[in-house]
Amino acid sequence: MTETGPVSGAAAEPSDDAEGDQRRARAPGGAGSHRAWPYWVAAVVLVVGLVVTGVFVWISAASYTNNENRLLKLRVKDAGALFAGVLPNVQTPLASAAALADATDGAVNKFKAFIGPSVGPRGRGQFVSVSLWRLGQAQPLAVVGLPPLLASSPSGRAGLFARAARRSQLSLTGLLKASSPPRLGYAFTSPGLTGHYVAYAESQLSPNRRSRFQSNSAFADLDYALYLGRTQSAPNLLVTDLKTLPISGRHESISIPFGDSAFTFVVTPRRPLAGTFAQRLPWIIAIVGLLLSLGAAALTARLIARRNQAQELAVSLEQIAGENRRLYAQQRTIARTLQHALLPEALPKVHGVETSARYEAGVEGVEIGGDWYDLIALDDHRLLLVVGDVSGRGLRAAATMASLRFAIHAYAAQDDPPEAILAKLSNLVNVNTSGQLATVLCAVVDVDAHRLTVTSAGHLPPLLLSNGSGTFVRSEVGVPIGVRAGASYTSTSVQTPKAATLLAFTDGLVERRGESIDTGLARLQQAASNNHVALDDLLSHLIDDLRQDGGDDDTAIAALRWLD
Amino acid sequence: MAGLGSNSTTGATFDVVEGDGTVTVTVCGELDITNVEALGSAVAPAIEHEPSRLVLNARELRFADSSAIALWVQWATEVPEIELRDASPLLRRVVETMGLTETLGVKP
Repeated sequence: MTETGPVSGAAAEPSDDAEGDQRRARAPGGAGSHRAWPYWVAAVVLVVGLVVTGVFVWISAASYTNNENRLLKLRVKDAGALFAGVLPNVQTPLASAAALADATDGAVNKFKAFIGPSVGPRGRGQFVSVSLWRLGQAQPLAVVGLPPLLASSPSGRAGLFARAARRSQLSLTGLLKASSPPRLGYAFTSPGLTGHYVAYAESQLSPNRRSRFQSNSAFADLDYALYLGRTQSAPNLLVTDLKTLPISGRHESISIPFGDSAFTFVVTPRRPLAGTFAQRLPWIIAIVGLLLSLGAAALTARLIARRNQAQELAVSLEQIAGENRRLYAQQRTIARTLQHALLPEALPKVHGVETSARYEAGVEGVEIGGDWYDLIALDDHRLLLVVGDVSGRGLRAAATMASLRFAIHAYAAQDDPPEAILAKLSNLVNVNTSGQLATVLCAVVDVDAHRLTVTSAGHLPPLLLSNGSGTFVRSEVGVPIGVRAGASYTSTSVQTPKAATLLAFTDGLVERRGESIDTGLARLQQAASNNHVALDDLLSHLIDDLRQDGGDDDTAIAALRWLD
Repeated sequence: MAGLGSNSTTGATFDVVEGDGTVTVTVCGELDITNVEALGSAVAPAIEHEPSRLVLNARELRFADSSAIALWVQWATEVPEIELRDASPLLRRVVETMGLTETLGVKP
């Protein structure tokens, strides 16, 4: 009975891996196309920054205004208190003079002597004119200083004196504008006594009603206006240091009762009362906030731009990687197809033996390798089993492998013995011209005679398995094909036990970096010792067990088992 | 051309010294198909000077694949005398397995 071992590692099944890779490569490409305006985050940062800045500016400005108003109120109260202190200076001399007149029954001389020091031209005396009147009389009893303007206005005088008589306090005229600058008149009637006499005084306003606080005064930082009465009416302006009135902008006013009338004192700050820093703070906050917002927005925009660049780069890298995967899969498919095309399509059937073979590409099998196996029926009871390995990879290695394989077929057909076959092969390859060496193992199997003849050109020895143990068939090893033309080889023959199994292989099955070749051979010996399985299964197990780690080289195995 | 995604992670370094008709090639690391061509190019100019002897110092060579061994065999055919010196037992065993002990002048 004869069987044909399957040629493993089915060749070019159309790879849907490649299509999958292509799909994956395109998918991320779509991500770049639906790009909304990418800088909206930066815009949001800017807007938020500006809003926060605005809030701080508003708080700072409001606090500044609040503070200024509070300070101004305090100052105007201080000024009012100071001003109120002036009132006795006016009232006391007049009250005393009126009391004196009452007590002396209108003694003119005593009146003049008493009041004289208070009278003088503006600036030197308190009053420009003081006069003593008896109620109901049209002319004064005595006049010190200038003639009273009130004398020319009988009705005004009568009204004033009537008011003065009713109240025990200073009574004021309106502004007397008959002179320039205008005058202000005060009348006082002594209360509780006879009440017949009125002391009347007039003081003159400043020229143009302008006057400044002294520069060293506590109020030098304020502008002011003083009005007669309780309102800020321009005709009643007494004095100011301002050129234009009424006061606009921040100002505070206070009414100070004065006799039966009042003064209204209005102040406005010349400069920020809390200092210029407090005034500038909102602007500083605004400018700094604006700059920070712009900076943060610019930084955000820059980060976004970088991220976008990185994303675009990642997308294109992914595309390239996808293309590489596709090309890799394609190349791998081509390599596999070509490799299997160069290996035997089917193994020959010889009565009495079972045969099997495997070719396993290395894990990096994008390139075709130089390993091969072959089984050639020499006649009806003899087989030539060949494994070989051309150094290097790629098409050159494959081409050399193919030429050696077909040459062996030709020499075998001429009935050349294996040592002659290898000697002739040594003429086909020259390491000097091709840079290649080939190790080749030829094993002639005489099925009926249970005889094995092994010839090696630098190749690893075959393993002979029998009764659960394996031995390597050591023969004299000649130089690899390619070292020199006309090399000679020697064959070694052994008798094989019944039901023996022969395994010939390339170094991919046993060789590992950093490990002795003997260790690899022993591992194979161990793994193959349990050979009571079908030949195909044995090869599958060996490939699975021995190549599971570190098997990056191509591997070819050919096997034969006697069926007796 | 080196295979795509070669497993050669460590690579090799070469040093070529000529003198007195002897070329001494010192190789460290691992030699395989990915760097054999570079080694060949590095040594080729020295071989063109027709030295009488080539010494391959393999003391720090951890691995050599069949393409590296093919390159050495090529040198062996081009230079009258070659010596593979200080090869590790592992490497000597590979050379021996390939029947090249004599060809590559491996000293016992």
